[in-house]
Amino acid sequence: MKQSEPSMLEATLLSLEERTETQIREIAQADILVGIPSFNNSSTIGHVVKAVIAGLAKYFPEYRAVLVNSDGGSTDGTPDVVAKASVDLGVMLITDRQSFLHRIITPYKGMSGKGSAFRTIFEVARRLGVKACAVVDADLRSITPEWIELLLRPVLSGSFDFVAPYYLRHKYDGTITNSIVYPLTRALYGVQIRQPIGGDFGFSGKLAGHYMDQHVWESDVAGFGIDIWMTTEAVASGVRVCQSFLGAKIHNPKDPAADLSAMLAQVVGAIFALMEAHQEVWVPLQGSKPIPMFGFQYEVGVEPVNVNVDHMIASFRQGLVDLRPIWEGMLAAETLQALSATRDMPSHNFHIPDEVWARTVYDCALAFQRSVLNREHLLKAMTPLYLGRTASFVVETQGLTTRETEDRIEQLCKVFEQLKPYLLERWGAVKEA
Amino acid sequence: MREFVNTTLLEPLTTIGTRILHFLPNLFAAVIILGVGWFLARLLGRGVERLLRMLGIDHLADQLGISAVLTRTGLKPLPSHLAGRMLYWGLVVLTAIAALGALDVKAINQLATSFLNYLPHVLTAAVILIAGMLLSNFVARTALIAAVNANFPAAATAAGLARWGVLLAALAMALEQLGIAQNIVVVGFGITLGGVVLAAAIALGLGAKDLAKEFLERMLSDKPRDRMPDDLKHL
Repeated sequence: MKQSEPSMLEATLLSLEERTETQIREIAQADILVGIPSFNNSSTIGHVVKAVIAGLAKYFPEYRAVLVNSDGGSTDGTPDVVAKASVDLGVMLITDRQSFLHRIITPYKGMSGKGSAFRTIFEVARRLGVKACAVVDADLRSITPEWIELLLRPVLSGSFDFVAPYYLRHKYDGTITNSIVYPLTRALYGVQIRQPIGGDFGFSGKLAGHYMDQHVWESDVAGFGIDIWMTTEAVASGVRVCQSFLGAKIHNPKDPAADLSAMLAQVVGAIFALMEAHQEVWVPLQGSKPIPMFGFQYEVGVEPVNVNVDHMIASFRQGLVDLRPIWEGMLAAETLQALSATRDMPSHNFHIPDEVWARTVYDCALAFQRSVLNREHLLKAMTPLYLGRTASFVVETQGLTTRETEDRIEQLCKVFEQLKPYLLERWGAVKEA
Repeated sequence: MREFVNTTLLEPLTTIGTRILHFLPNLFAAVIILGVGWFLARLLGRGVERLLRMLGIDHLADQLGISAVLTRTGLKPLPSHLAGRMLYWGLVVLTAIAALGALDVKAINQLATSFLNYLPHVLTAAVILIAGMLLSNFVARTALIAAVNANFPAAATAAGLARWGVLLAALAMALEQLGIAQNIVVVGFGITLGGVVLAAAIALGLGAKDLAKEFLERMLSDKPRDRMPDDLKHL
């Protein structure tokens, strides 16, 4: 990871609100920063802020810490909740003398989205010269003070630059992660980061500076693509990466205004764009390796998730008919043929094999690279494909435990790794053409 | 008798001969212009075709969906070849007009002038039509994907309507540019569009009242949907 020259830093400073600038000047320097991006999260953010306050007080009393809430223009009083949230440390049995926790509550600038909120957090981190940062989602209902320690300690100890979360989630929670992001990221970059788009990360101040130096803030990274971008950038830049076991992740659904198709397009679009940017990193890699894991692991019950399989299968089948001309341009003939074979399967036996799904994802990545059609169209045309695969996964794992389901995901990841030569052969052909 | 031969027979013949002699250089010039023009048109047409191919214009056309539009409209050649042929025929037509002008015949000159004055309208209309076809393709694909992702059963019909809406608008604008029955085109287009909107409104009001109600309720209230995709959290 390259460090920028100070003069360059000056030149690329992101302008902040006047009030925020004043606060930063007053604080001058800090050791730890915890960022919370938000947009209309008044019902949950109070709990998140309390967990952060308690976590910092309990585990890092000697450090100068700053809490930054980067808000997207909430109309439900989210910033007020952040400002007023407090914790009775006596009840928490915390008696150590505390450093004062500064709170910066600021709206972010730029395109609307989580990525733009993070950009402001990174900028504050850089200006305060912090050693370690953590970002946590504002919709979390299961966050505890321990999360703060688990995300920051590996960085503060100087051993790691990036801490990814490791959660216990319901087997049908995070289906984009399980069916696309985790298998693809693992096969490409050779590291087994189970929750690459978990949303709650720890990272060094140096890495925050690296993030700020990238000119990606007008792309999908400004939205839901930020999580995979942070993880991939960390891995591709060669910094030391680990994951921390955080227990159960229970959270509200993401921005209700964002539809599935847009979310999927932003996340997958960011992965595909990163494939182009970092091909010198992932092309030579084979297989994958586990990374260090911190935290005490335990089993926990998670909230049930209701799934309507028939609805997802109907979406997929409509795609097979209506989007066929588009899919013909995106997918290899054999892949489309294999997907078409599912047309007459009854719902309870609906099945898209792992090999077919891996080829589908790789074909889409190649189509994105070749720009065979408008990229926005390509990414959004993937929604019925993803719903079909999710339906297949649900049908297949209906009676399985979380552990058994995790084994199935592991199996899918291995198929992605085994079929990486399929991608490489065609990717090479693309580059030569 | 000699005078009769001179005035009645030879004089007209001399006049005609003189005129022919005067016309011959013009004809010769026209033939040269035609020959050189045709040669240059052929050379430039092929040159541009090769240059565009080298620049990867065919690949770019694939990406932008232009090739798909051309195929759909029955034009199978590659875009580079098509551009080369268009340049060739454009130059041939201009050469022909220049050659006719070189003949210095009043009627032909007037015709050529009228044609040259009309040419910008033809070119503008052609540009409008091409842009309309490209835009209709893009809009139709956007509508199709959005409709499928929204589980709209008649997604293909919606996409078709979007395509023809844009195409009809482009056609009306092109015809207006050409000055063909301007009023009829504008009124016809207005009536057609108004009819489609009215038909859609009646169809929605009578046939999909509940659907529209549910949609509006969902849009205007903060309540989560009570049907799929249930409580799946994708991220």
